[in-house]
Amino acid sequence: MEEIFSYFTLANILWVAVGVLAGIYIGAIPGLSVTMAASLLIGMTFDWDTGSALALMMGVYMGGVYGGSRAAILLNIPGAPAAVATTFDGYPLAKKGEAGKAIAVSTIISVLGGLVGLVILLAAAPAVGKLALGFGPKDYFLLVVMGLFLVGSLGGKSMAKGMFTAAMGLMLAVVGTDPITGLGRFTFGNTNMRSGISYITVMIGVFGIGEALMQLQHREEPIVKQKLNSVRPPRSTLKKLIPLGIRSAIIGTIVGALPGAGGDIAALLSYDVAKRTTKEPEVPFGEGAFEGVVAPEAANNAAVGGALIPMLTLGIPGDSVTAIMMGALTVHGVRCGPMIMSSQPWLFYTLAWMLAVACVFLLIFGMSGIRVFAKLVEVPREILMPLIIVISIVGSYAITNNVMDVIWTVVFGIVGYLLKYYGFPVAPLVLGLILGPNLELNFRRAMISAGGAAGLVKDIFTSPVSLVLVVILGMLVVSQVKIAQGSAASGQKK
Amino acid sequence: MSKTKKWIVALLLVISTIVAVQEVIKTARMYLEEYPSNDINAYVAWGAGGATDIMGRTLSIYAAKELGVDIVVQNKTGASGAIATEFVRKQPADGYNILYNAENPTLYKVLNISPIDYSEYEPIILIGQQMPVVVVGEHSPYHSISELIESARKHPGKIKLSTTGIGALPGNVAAMLESTSDVTFNQVPFGGDADALTAVMGGHTDVSVINYSAAVDYAREGKIRILTVLNNERLASEPNVETISEVYPEYGKYFPWGPFIGAFVDKDCPEKVKETLAKAFRNAWETPEFQQFLADSDVIPLGYSGDEARAYIEKWQQVTAWILHDVGQTTVSPAEYGIQRIE
Repeated sequence: MEEIFSYFTLANILWVAVGVLAGIYIGAIPGLSVTMAASLLIGMTFDWDTGSALALMMGVYMGGVYGGSRAAILLNIPGAPAAVATTFDGYPLAKKGEAGKAIAVSTIISVLGGLVGLVILLAAAPAVGKLALGFGPKDYFLLVVMGLFLVGSLGGKSMAKGMFTAAMGLMLAVVGTDPITGLGRFTFGNTNMRSGISYITVMIGVFGIGEALMQLQHREEPIVKQKLNSVRPPRSTLKKLIPLGIRSAIIGTIVGALPGAGGDIAALLSYDVAKRTTKEPEVPFGEGAFEGVVAPEAANNAAVGGALIPMLTLGIPGDSVTAIMMGALTVHGVRCGPMIMSSQPWLFYTLAWMLAVACVFLLIFGMSGIRVFAKLVEVPREILMPLIIVISIVGSYAITNNVMDVIWTVVFGIVGYLLKYYGFPVAPLVLGLILGPNLELNFRRAMISAGGAAGLVKDIFTSPVSLVLVVILGMLVVSQVKIAQGSAASGQKK
Repeated sequence: MSKTKKWIVALLLVISTIVAVQEVIKTARMYLEEYPSNDINAYVAWGAGGATDIMGRTLSIYAAKELGVDIVVQNKTGASGAIATEFVRKQPADGYNILYNAENPTLYKVLNISPIDYSEYEPIILIGQQMPVVVVGEHSPYHSISELIESARKHPGKIKLSTTGIGALPGNVAAMLESTSDVTFNQVPFGGDADALTAVMGGHTDVSVINYSAAVDYAREGKIRILTVLNNERLASEPNVETISEVYPEYGKYFPWGPFIGAFVDKDCPEKVKETLAKAFRNAWETPEFQQFLADSDVIPLGYSGDEARAYIEKWQQVTAWILHDVGQTTVSPAEYGIQRIE
């Protein structure tokens, strides 16, 4: 354990490979999450050697985060919350017969994202760790408000409809035990309701069952033949996408390093940023722009390296997977404290090389078998859709082994179908549920902490982190106002 | 009916008969044969990687060896552990369903979380107790508990104390300090222990309460300072940290007190099953390997079962329910459930 590279063995490299492969499939199934896979693996770590257990976990982590995009592109069902944004442009690409290319792009960009995360981890971990520590409740609140602006980007044809479903998500997010007062809100005295409505069940419901019902209704429509002659994207396209990928990956690493945010929010924010900053996409966002696949996929894989930063510099888990990893290490007598970098340098380097190796295998496994996967879109709907419904239900049960989650999934499956039928976008619903608790709790925390609204305003304008976030927010507001857009456009014409 | 259909029906019938017969045999064996004859399910009421999970899973390895069957551990989280507590109680009382949970159920009734608490369970073993400590950030002006209490008295509601919600450790200790020393803190609730600690380290709050095991590494690194330990005796590993009852003797009556973790089984299980489990878990707990594990984790070994465990849990409940009641955080008065006040 003392030797820095003592775990760098062939066996452990193979375990990373096994983990990546398993992760891709676990991640692709909605409901089966990386967190779940990691918690299953923790049971194994008791008998295993620390190195192999970590290797498998890192592999699954990387593979799983990437795997979420597969189902998002092919079936319009995000395999994980971090892949919600990938559906916006990934699925339209599949509908145009470009599923193969979309998967190839997402693979290359995910690897790029993972590597950017790794580089930042290696080069600037202490600095990013310090930055993460500087984020207080008010800053998380501002960050989440930024996330809400995404509704404007993904509302589809009607902004009003998008705001309606987003508001619905925000309101559903208050159901359950109030984490501050401990009182039940809309729980009707039912213990199961006290856990609230998990955004994962809603996501599986509206995207999985809701989408399946919708597709079954349109089962007569001809199935799109996939163009599979050349799945590799042309070099010129990639060249154009890589700068955006790196930018999104940097956002992903930093947001991923914040213990109160993570890959889900990172992917959504990057999509929004990409949509606002990409001047001339070949196809508009939402209709199958490669840029729309690149941003969230680069960000969520970069968030893996990001999540390791607080764990390795502060001894604080960056997300639920790193929390489990720290638990697994405890079992082996490795304590993840703030001095872990100096007392256990092997851990830092072990995780770093595992991340690098995972990227390599991700490229290999991700790029192979794309044609077979893309064919999935061509499976007749009457066969594919019932399968999706079954997988959705199994996946929802697997979240916490609780039948209540299955009930929610079915309920939101039907709600999702009705929303889609009447032309309401469902993504803002999930967005509202993901952001809702963060928005509410961080606002209340900040208010309690500052002792009232006046104090909060003062706090925000005296903290450098908050000020930067306020400026960014201000720019978002201005860029969304019609007049500003109009004058900017006319200015360009002149 | 076509021929194929008939075959399918016949096949289904055969399969269901086999399954049914197997179930009957399994149930019959369960009653006739010595317990345990099957694998045992254990449900951890908290998430993977947490203290309850790690303690439970580690103890399960040794207990399984004692019992000669596998113990399949899974996490069933939600509602402060109430989901698992209700779930295990709803399973057959045959000793094949074990609950790993922490101190929280003792407050379910007074906080109106769930009607099912430890009164419906038999404690197989209380594994260990954590030692709570009051901590401040490295740049904090407070160097002792008396400085903190004095300042809180002078500036009521101004000192920010990061908690993790009602009924959890930091909030419970805040209630203890507020009701005993007559001070008020500005309690800022966070999502979990790690978040609450991060807030102290980042200077977003002034003070928090965490388990010694979670604090020790940060304290040695100088990222936080331990002001006091909530106990009557000093910690062997921190001889310079004063106990709160040294400074304020009125706290003495509360201790020993702190988050605990235990294994529980439905109280309606046959006596023989309870005895078998208690003996096996006791032996598992006593193994030098497990004791070493407890020592490495800075957890104080308890090892209580049966009446001894019940007395420990009862005292914990009396202390905590009343201090929460005194600061107005309970929904129902502890008196209504016959919980007596510690004098």
